[in-house]
Amino acid sequence: MSLYQHTAKELHEKLLKKECSAKEIAESVFARIDACEERVGAYVTLEREGAMAAAQAVDQKIAAGESIGPLAGIPVAVKDNICTKGVLTTCASRMLYNFRPPYDATVVEKLRGADYVMTGKANMDEFAMGSSCETSYFKKTANPHDLARVPGGSSGGSAAAVAAGEAVLALGSDTGGSIRQPASLCGVIGLKPTYGSVSRYGLVAFASSLDQIGPFGRCVEDVAALYGAICGRDKMDATTARRDYPDFSAFNGDVRGLRIGIPKEYFGPGVDPEVKELVHAALRELESAGAVLKELSLPGTDYALSAYYIISSAEASSNLARFDGVKYGYRAEEYDGLLDMYEKTRSQGFGDEVKRRIMLGTFVLSSGYYDAYYNKAKLFQKALRAEFVAAFEDCDLIATPTSPTVAFRLEENVDDPLKMYAADVCTIAVNIAGLPGLSVPCGVSEGLPVGMQLIGPRFSEQRLFDTAYAFQQLRGGSLCPMPELA
Amino acid sequence: MRMKYITVIGLEVHAELSTKTKIYCSCKNSFGSEVNSNCCPNCTGMPGSLPTLNEKVVEYAIRMGYATNCTINPVCKADRKNYFYPDLPKAYQISQFDIPLCEHGYIDAVVDEEGNTKRVGITRIHIEEDAGKLIHSESFSGSLVDLNRCGVPLIEIVSEPDLRSAHEAKAYLDSIRAILQYLDISDCKMQEGSIRCDVNVSVMPEGATEFGTRCEMKNVNGFSAVERAIEYEARRQIEVLEAGGTISQETRRWDDLAGKNYLLRSKEDAQDYRYFPEPDLGAIVVPEELLEELRATIPELPGHKLLRYMKETGLPFFDANLLCENPDKADYFERCLALGRCQPKAVSNWLLGDVSRILNEKNKTLADTKLTPEKLCDMIALIEKKTISNTAGKTVLEEIIWSDKTPDDVVKEKGLAQISDTGALEAVVRSVIDANEKVVNDYRGGKTNALGFLVGQCMRQSKGQGNPAVIRELLEKALG
Amino acid sequence: MNIDIKHIAKLSRLSIEEDKMEKFQRDMENIVAMVEKLPAVENQTLAVDPADRMELRKDEIRPSLRREALLQNAPQSAAGCIVVPKTVE
Ligand SMILES: [Mg+2]
Ligand SMILES: [Zn+2]
Repeated sequence: MSLYQHTAKELHEKLLKKECSAKEIAESVFARIDACEERVGAYVTLEREGAMAAAQAVDQKIAAGESIGPLAGIPVAVKDNICTKGVLTTCASRMLYNFRPPYDATVVEKLRGADYVMTGKANMDEFAMGSSCETSYFKKTANPHDLARVPGGSSGGSAAAVAAGEAVLALGSDTGGSIRQPASLCGVIGLKPTYGSVSRYGLVAFASSLDQIGPFGRCVEDVAALYGAICGRDKMDATTARRDYPDFSAFNGDVRGLRIGIPKEYFGPGVDPEVKELVHAALRELESAGAVLKELSLPGTDYALSAYYIISSAEASSNLARFDGVKYGYRAEEYDGLLDMYEKTRSQGFGDEVKRRIMLGTFVLSSGYYDAYYNKAKLFQKALRAEFVAAFEDCDLIATPTSPTVAFRLEENVDDPLKMYAADVCTIAVNIAGLPGLSVPCGVSEGLPVGMQLIGPRFSEQRLFDTAYAFQQLRGGSLCPMPELA
Repeated sequence: MRMKYITVIGLEVHAELSTKTKIYCSCKNSFGSEVNSNCCPNCTGMPGSLPTLNEKVVEYAIRMGYATNCTINPVCKADRKNYFYPDLPKAYQISQFDIPLCEHGYIDAVVDEEGNTKRVGITRIHIEEDAGKLIHSESFSGSLVDLNRCGVPLIEIVSEPDLRSAHEAKAYLDSIRAILQYLDISDCKMQEGSIRCDVNVSVMPEGATEFGTRCEMKNVNGFSAVERAIEYEARRQIEVLEAGGTISQETRRWDDLAGKNYLLRSKEDAQDYRYFPEPDLGAIVVPEELLEELRATIPELPGHKLLRYMKETGLPFFDANLLCENPDKADYFERCLALGRCQPKAVSNWLLGDVSRILNEKNKTLADTKLTPEKLCDMIALIEKKTISNTAGKTVLEEIIWSDKTPDDVVKEKGLAQISDTGALEAVVRSVIDANEKVVNDYRGGKTNALGFLVGQCMRQSKGQGNPAVIRELLEKALG
Repeated sequence: MNIDIKHIAKLSRLSIEEDKMEKFQRDMENIVAMVEKLPAVENQTLAVDPADRMELRKDEIRPSLRREALLQNAPQSAAGCIVVPKTVE
C-alpha cells in the first residue's frame, strides 16, 4: 500500500513511529497526482514546491524532537475560493484568473499553524455556483470512480482529489450542498459544519448567510480532525459563534438508543429507488446496532429550493458586484468609458451560470419585488428553522440521501439549470436552517458511490461524527475504497 | 403680481467620526495620509474579506442621538446599499436602512441675536461607511482611485423638512457642528470634507398646504455653500413655476465655484439601491447599562449654554456665541464666573479680546497656558478696583499667561500700580501744559476734543500709571 | 412572469449578447416560476433577533497593507493609485 492511500490518522501514526517522513508522504501524493491528475483534473493550481518545503519543515520538527499535531505533514487540497496569500485564488473564474490574495483565509492560517501541507488549489464550479464542477472556466473535473461522470459540485475538485488519492484531505465550501453532494458522488466523507462554527474570513463569498467551509476525508476520524482544526470563533468574522469546541478526537461508537429521524419528503419520487434502498439498508444496520428509527415529516423541504435560490442569488448579486475590473482580476481589454468597462469586464469575466444567478439576485432585490421574493424567502427560512427545531425534539438526528442520484454524466445537465438545481434538493434545507450535515458513503449503485446524509441540531457535529464512526465500524472500519485509476 | 413663495428645506448631513480606526476594519482613520496607505483587504473590498464593526462608532452615534433628543434603537442592524462606482470597492455601502440607530429627535437651533430658536426635527441618525476618493487631473486620461477614505465612519443625520430659509439651514448646521464638537466625536473640518451635506429643497406658494416637488442637491460642502446652494435652487424653482413650468423630482449637483447647480439624474433614472440586511454582520445590540452610561456623558449643549449666558449674565449674543463656540472656552468662562471676583462682561471682553489674540498669535489653546481663571480674574479685579489701568492690565496679562507669576507679582515688579494721588500728578499735568502750548490754545479756543490728547500725554509721562480720571479732572481745572 | 431582462442586466452591469438573450430570458422565467412556488408564511414578521448579537471590535489600530500589496492585483495603477477610465461626476 502506497502512502497516498492512507488516511491522515494512519499517516500521523507512521510519522510518530518514524516509519515514513512527511517528505515521503508529499512525494507519494504528488506521484499519484502525476499519475492521474491529467484524467481527473482536480486542481486548478498545484503547489508542489510549497508542499515539499512545508513537508520538510515538518520533518525538521520531528528530527528536533518537537511534538507534532494530527495534521502535521498531511497533504490537503484547498478549494480555489479560499484565499491563500501569494497563491492564485481564482474561484475557477476568468474574473480572477490572475488573482493572488495579499492575505490568508483564517482556515488557511489555522492549518498552517497545524503544519499541514497544501498540495494545491482545487477546481470547483465558478464562484461555487453549480453541482457538477462543469462551470469552471479552466477545466472540468472527472469523477474518479467513472471518468465520464461528474464529481459533483461545487467542491468537485476537493472531493475528487481526496477520492483519487491526489490529496489525503481537502477543504471545500458548502452553500447549498457543495461539500456533501460531491462527497456523495465521489464516495468520500464530507461535512457541512453548523453555520457560524468555521470562519468565513478569506472565503470568497457566494451567499454569506449560507456559505460554510468544511472538510473532506476518507475516514470519519480524518474529517473530524480537520474540522477540529478549522472551527472556532474568529474575531475577523462577526458571524462566527462565541463558544468552545471539543477537539473531536474521541468517538463514541455506541448508537444504542440514538433516535434517528427519517423524513418522508427526502425519499420522494425524485430520488432514485436504488439510492433510497441503499440509505434504508444503512439505517437498518444502525437500527440493528441499537439505534431507534422514527418516521417523520419535514414539509418545508419541498420549498427549500425556492427559498435557497432567492436568498443565495440575492446575496451573490451583491457579493459579486465587486468584480468590476477596477481593483483586481480580469479587466476587459477594450472599452469605452467606465460603464462600458464594467459591462464588458463582467460579461467576459463571468460564465453564464454566474450571470444567471447575479441577474436572479438583482431581480429579487429590485424595487417592487423585494417583499414578494427576498422577504418571503427570509420568512420561509425562519419557519423552516422552527420546523427542524421541532423535529429535533423527537429525534437526535435526521438521516436522508445526500444526492437524489448517483453521479451523472458530464454534459448531461449543463443546458438545463433547473435540472442541475435539483441535484441539491436533499442538501439545501440544511443550509437554509444553518445546521450541520455530514455525508457518508453507504453503498454502491451501478459501480457508483451513494451517500447518506446525517443532519443534526446546530453544533451537534460530535454526535454526527459518533454516529458516522459507528457506521464506519459496522462496515468494517472503511467507507471509502479508493478507485484504481490504473 | 408675483406670488410669494415659501422655501422648504431638509438636510442630510454626513459627519465623519473621529474614531481611531475605520468603521469596519482596524485601519487608521486619518486624513491626509499618503494615497492608499491606510488600506487593508476589508476596506478595499478584497474577495473573502469581512467587516467587523467598531464599537466606538456605535457609541459616538448614540451620543449624538441623545444630544439631539432621539430615541435609540438598542436592537438594530446594518444593511447593504448596492451601487457601482470606482470609489466604492465592494460595490455596496454598508449603511442602515429601515432601522437606524437613532430616530425621532430634534434640536433647537438659535436663529437670531435675540436668542430666538427654531425647533428642527431629526428624522434619523444612522451609521455608515465613507467611500474613497477619485483624483482627476487634466494631464491624465484616466481617474486615480485613492481608497484611504473607504470605511471612514460616518453618521448621517437626516432632518425633517422643517427649515424655511437658507439662514435657518445655516443656523441648523451651526448647531449640528457645535454639538459634534461638544461631544468631541467629529473634527468638523469642512475643508477636509469631514462634514458634507445633501440638501432637499422645494418651494410652495404662501398659504399652500402641500409641499412642492423637491429636488435633491448633492456635493454641498461648506457652510456658506449651503446658503448659496439653497438660495440658488429656491430661485431656480420659483423661476420655473413663474414661467408656468412644473418642478420634476430630480437630483442636481451643486457647483460652488460656478455658483449654480445642474441636473445629475431625473426621477426616471433614480438609482435602485437594492437594500438588504448585511449578511456578514450580526445584530447590533446595545445593552441598557451602556445606553445609560452614554446618556450620562452628554454635556450641556452649546445652544442651551448660549441662551443661558445671555439670560443669566446679560451678555450680548455676539459674546455668548463666541464663548460657546468651543467647550473648553465656555468651561473656562464658567470657572471665572464661579469665582465671583469680577464682572462677566469684563471676563468675556478679556477672553474674547486679548487672551484670544495672544493664543491665536502663538497658535496655542487655553490649556497650553498658565493662565488660571484665578489669575485672570484677579487681574481684572485690579482694573475694576482701579489699582491698575486697563493698559497696565494688558502688560500684566502678557506676563501671567506664560509664567507662574500672579498679577500682584507683576504689578509690583513693574511698578504698574495706578497713581491717583493729585499731588504727584499735578507736576505731570503742569509739564504737559507747558510743553503743548498749541494744543492748549486749541482747547481754550473751543476744541474740547483736544483734551483727550493732553490726557494721553499725561498718561505717557506717568508711564501709564496715572489714573486717567484724576488727570482729566486736574487738566480741566488747570485749563478752566 | 415577464422579466425585463435588459433592465436587470443593466442593473447588474452585465451586457448579454443578442444571441444569448432568448435563452437567458427563458431560463430566468423558468427559475422565477420555480422560486415563486414558495408559500407565504402567515402571521410572521422579520424583526432583528437580539440573540443574533455580534461582538463589536475594539477601536484599536492594526497595521494596514503595504501599498504594493494592495496594488499588485490592480489591472492598472499609477502614482500609488488604481487607474480607471475618467469618471464624469
Ligand atoms: Mg448615506
Ligand atoms: Zn482597512
